[in-house]
Amino acid sequence: MATLVIMPRQGQSVESCIITEWKKKKGDKVAVKDVLFSYETDKSAFDEEAAVAGTLLEVFVKDGDDVPCLDPVCIIGEPGEDISALVAQAKAGKGGEAPAPEEKKPEAEAPAAAPAQTAAQEVPAAPEAGGFLRISPRARKLAEKTGADVSKAEGTGPMGRIIERDVNALLDRGLTVQAAAKEAAAAAEAVQAPAASAPAATPAAAYEDVKMPNIRKVIARAMHASLSNMAQLTLNASFDATQIMAFRAAVKAAGEGMGMNNITLNDIVLYAVARTLPGHRDLNANYFEDKEIIRYFSHVNLGVAVDTPRGLLVPTVFSADTLSLNELSAEAKKVIKSAQAGTISPDLLKDGSFTVTNLGSLGVESFTPVINPPQTAILGVDCITRRVKNVGGQDVFYDAMGLSLTFDHRVLDGAPAAKFLKELCFNLENFNLLLAK
Amino acid sequence: MPKSQFVDPKTAFTPGYIHFEDIPVCQYNKTLAEEKKLYTKADFMRIYHDMRTIHEFETMLNEVKVKSEYNGVKYNNPGPAHLSIGQEASAVGEAYCLDIDDLTYGSHRSHGEILAKGLSSINKLDDKELYDIMKDFLGGAVLSVVEKHMKNDGDIKKLAQNFLLYGALAEIFARTTGFNKGLGGSMHAFFIPFGIMPCNAIVGGGAPIALGAALYKRVNHKKGIVVANCGDGALGRGPVLEAFNFASMDQITKLWNDGHGTGMPILFNCFDNHYGMGGQTRGETMGFDMAARLGAGFNPDMMHTERVNGYDPLAVIDAFKRKKALLLEGKGPAMLDVVTYRISGHSPSDSSTYRTQEEIDAWKAADPIAAYRAKMVKGRVATQAEFDAIDAMIVDRMTEIMKLAIDEEISPRMNLDKDPDAIAGIMYSNQKIHSMDPSRTAEMTKPHDENDRVKEMATKIRTATDENGKPVPKMKVYNIRDGLCEPIIEKFYDDPTLIAYGEDNRDWGGAFGVYKKITDSIPYHRFFNAPISESAIVGSAVGYAMCGGRCIVELMYADFIGCAGDEIFNQMAKWQSMSAGILKMPIILRVSVGSKYGAQHSQDWTALTAHIPGLKVVFPATPYDAKGLMCNALEGTDPVIFFESQRIYDKGEEFHKEGVPTGYYEVALGDPDVKKEGKDVTILTIGAVLYRALEAAKTLEEKYGISAEIIDARSIVPFDYTKVIESVKKTGRVLIVGDAVERNSVMKDMAANITELAFDYLDAPPVALGSRNWITPAHELEEAFFPYPSAIIDCIHEKLLPIPGYVPTHNFSDVEKIDRMKKGV
Repeated sequence: MATLVIMPRQGQSVESCIITEWKKKKGDKVAVKDVLFSYETDKSAFDEEAAVAGTLLEVFVKDGDDVPCLDPVCIIGEPGEDISALVAQAKAGKGGEAPAPEEKKPEAEAPAAAPAQTAAQEVPAAPEAGGFLRISPRARKLAEKTGADVSKAEGTGPMGRIIERDVNALLDRGLTVQAAAKEAAAAAEAVQAPAASAPAATPAAAYEDVKMPNIRKVIARAMHASLSNMAQLTLNASFDATQIMAFRAAVKAAGEGMGMNNITLNDIVLYAVARTLPGHRDLNANYFEDKEIIRYFSHVNLGVAVDTPRGLLVPTVFSADTLSLNELSAEAKKVIKSAQAGTISPDLLKDGSFTVTNLGSLGVESFTPVINPPQTAILGVDCITRRVKNVGGQDVFYDAMGLSLTFDHRVLDGAPAAKFLKELCFNLENFNLLLAK
Repeated sequence: MPKSQFVDPKTAFTPGYIHFEDIPVCQYNKTLAEEKKLYTKADFMRIYHDMRTIHEFETMLNEVKVKSEYNGVKYNNPGPAHLSIGQEASAVGEAYCLDIDDLTYGSHRSHGEILAKGLSSINKLDDKELYDIMKDFLGGAVLSVVEKHMKNDGDIKKLAQNFLLYGALAEIFARTTGFNKGLGGSMHAFFIPFGIMPCNAIVGGGAPIALGAALYKRVNHKKGIVVANCGDGALGRGPVLEAFNFASMDQITKLWNDGHGTGMPILFNCFDNHYGMGGQTRGETMGFDMAARLGAGFNPDMMHTERVNGYDPLAVIDAFKRKKALLLEGKGPAMLDVVTYRISGHSPSDSSTYRTQEEIDAWKAADPIAAYRAKMVKGRVATQAEFDAIDAMIVDRMTEIMKLAIDEEISPRMNLDKDPDAIAGIMYSNQKIHSMDPSRTAEMTKPHDENDRVKEMATKIRTATDENGKPVPKMKVYNIRDGLCEPIIEKFYDDPTLIAYGEDNRDWGGAFGVYKKITDSIPYHRFFNAPISESAIVGSAVGYAMCGGRCIVELMYADFIGCAGDEIFNQMAKWQSMSAGILKMPIILRVSVGSKYGAQHSQDWTALTAHIPGLKVVFPATPYDAKGLMCNALEGTDPVIFFESQRIYDKGEEFHKEGVPTGYYEVALGDPDVKKEGKDVTILTIGAVLYRALEAAKTLEEKYGISAEIIDARSIVPFDYTKVIESVKKTGRVLIVGDAVERNSVMKDMAANITELAFDYLDAPPVALGSRNWITPAHELEEAFFPYPSAIIDCIHEKLLPIPGYVPTHNFSDVEKIDRMKKGV
């Protein structure tokens, strides 16, 4: 029996995913665990593997399509198998044309005139005479958004009304329909597609129009919102990196023998930030302007900005203030790796309380990092430069590392931000002491 | 019940008689020769001029009503015209000897009264004062019309007469150039700078308000007297009789100002025109024979009551002079019964089915204006030609003023298309005024910190539980009573005009102890026990506020709102807007919702007060909110109905971890408060039911895994739905709970509004859960009546979110609902 493959829902907040690439095409043989297609959410990329073996009999969507979660994507079965029922199901509209649901429900069963209290809950959610469906506005809205097939819903609300939880139950079972109109529109689009892509196909084209990937759109929105909604400003400072460089050298020389990670300068900065932030709660916070609420975190959920092939991602190291330097280094490496691989769980891409971004390794001496809303600050780590200071009448060269702190002036003022930066610099200059603390 | 006065059983039964003095009836008998010693010719002529002006003004209104034309000028006036043709001598006689500081409150039929007082005040003010008053009033809007469009020979008094007549007429014709921008209208016109206070369309409605003005003068040591006008028909109304009694209270002279107090400076003046609408008072609807008899029973001074001939202006002036002198000596209150007759009908639609033409003709023949003129001509005060000249001038002036008042350009109506918020903007004054009279220091008998209650509150713990989470003992906890009382004590020290009264307020400390132990530092006249006269209590508060004072009145049980219905619904609520924003109404009316007291002492009547435009309504349920809302209300200038609940007076602060602040802070009126966060269902509570909702939420969470968000409405009017809508967007379900009976309740209103505002987010219709549409049964049966936690959970299960396996005990089915509504229960 053929199987209908649907677009999985990666997390409650994900509404649709973009098919980045089909790895199989119609007619291909498919084995279990073969990658059918790759897709991405606004935050991560995934591969969809085949759960059954067979032949790819039908494909409903193409590369680049934005597919609502739980919508049909393709059919796997045996060649020659009759898949018309599945195709019809996939293409069925939400209205009355839908094929009869498997469980045929009694028609127009009016609720009993005086239902007993418990009986009231058991009235099935069959459409009443005249096609009226007893469904709450909220449930209807959710069904429209997700394409849930409410004709299959079991109404558990008062008087058998279909309520929100019943639609969620449908979605969990993968019971969705696609509106006929939507399908028709998609078909029409498919016809027009070659014409639309014609200019790009011209070999002499001086440029290439590429549709912005989802993740880029998300970054674009977030960055623009950040700059247009907040009162951001950046403070720059530097500290004497002699001690942390020596520490890093020591780890490199002997750490591995002690079973330690390869602790980088960035890890050291992350550690100092995680240990300094708890005394500066305005910077370890989220500000929700619409609700006029500032959320102060009891731990430091440290966001680490990571450059990935798909763009900027900020995975979170939760409760970073409770981790040892070695643990923090390991945890940071783990999340950075999965972010770069695109396999990171969306749950690790949120709820950060503060972010550190490092452009120092690329030789940047100073910059204005952009806050990741709803956070209230972000620390940029700059490169190390050689500087001179006067010690006891002598000009002495030393290695200075720059720090660029952007904060939201709506939430705190310059002095408290500067105090944090000063303390952070002190802690980094006296890193050995901080470790002992 | 002051302890200083001993109620002695030995003297209580002493035999004897109550003696009444004779009540003078029309005893005035001075000759013109005698009067000539008191009045100049100009005085005599002015009396004629004023009577004739009133007569012409009302004749014009009558002609417009019945013929849509006066003196060739056509106009249609759809508004009312309750005229007093025939009563001109009474009105002018009253006003003649009143000064600017003396205030008059009009009867139901008050055009004559306001014009007479206005003309008298114009005569008494000097030209500069007069011009400044006119120039400053409404930015000179009224003055500029008469200055620009009428003949003006530089005579300020004539200009002021034009100003008065035009301002009143434009008001009657609902023009923005009227004294109250046309928002008061015919029966409500007033002009405070001339001592003309708001007049009332509610028969007898002005008496308790005038009492409040007298109270203001008495308490704040202001000059002048107050005249409360009413008709003989109004003497059948409770509020009038309540005002008589309130003004006569023994305590005013015996207890206030250490027993050296003066009486209430108020004269109750009855224009006895023989009819209350069509009902004949003497002989049909009343039993007093003569109205003057009523005053005799109220106090041993018999209120100095007297009946005088209202058809002779000189007789009326004579009586008013004598009564005013008594009041200024501190011997008030007083009463006058001024006999007169209304030639015109009750209103133009009155066909006088209740009286004969013969009777009307007989009174016309006795017309006071004609009689006065004849007397003056005969007594050689002036010639017919001189009077004719006055008549002609008045007719010309009235015609000219009418033309101005109906001119759409010069006297436009409010343009609600262009300025749709013109009326909305004056429904409340929305000001913050710390002291209504910063020039004075508040009269108090002890420093603030020595007040017994202040000392007691200082020892109290301002949270419900101690640092170990254990409940603070009842006697130690800072409770809702303290939250209410603390800002009130502060305000007594800060605002010299603040007074508080109600039944059992002083020694008892209020029936529920909110004012307990505050008595020792507040002088009697600022904080006293009122008689059991709810109309007089609230009505006098309205008059007190109108004069510029601030007060807190208390009605004990919310159920007694009905006893003061007119005063709350028509007076307190409406005067700010009816005055076009000229008046402020800083009154807090405290009412307490009872518990365990059965059908007439346990009702939550928030819906009644919330229904009436112009009132603000709050119902705090925690000490923090009680204090914050009280601070806010006390600082404001609007009338606030302050609901309290007897179920929860003992509650300590459970929600603000830091406890109730000792200092000043405000809770914004209209801002609901999320008392507990949740995600599955929102429960919006009104008043004391908050604690039952929290109990229900606990069960829902612990037994059924349903997380309820609890929002405490705190205020009812105004009310900001933003937080509620945000919550409903999250949960999709909302139950609104209150202790009021469900039908037409605030909960129902809120449910309807939430449905409109959050329809697309709803997983079930918002449901209102109130008490049953019954009488409140005995305490032991209350659970079947009030929303208890079991009903709250059942309602959620049956109407919003069925709970698997849950078995409800209440029936909230649609069938049951339809049946109940069909039966009206």
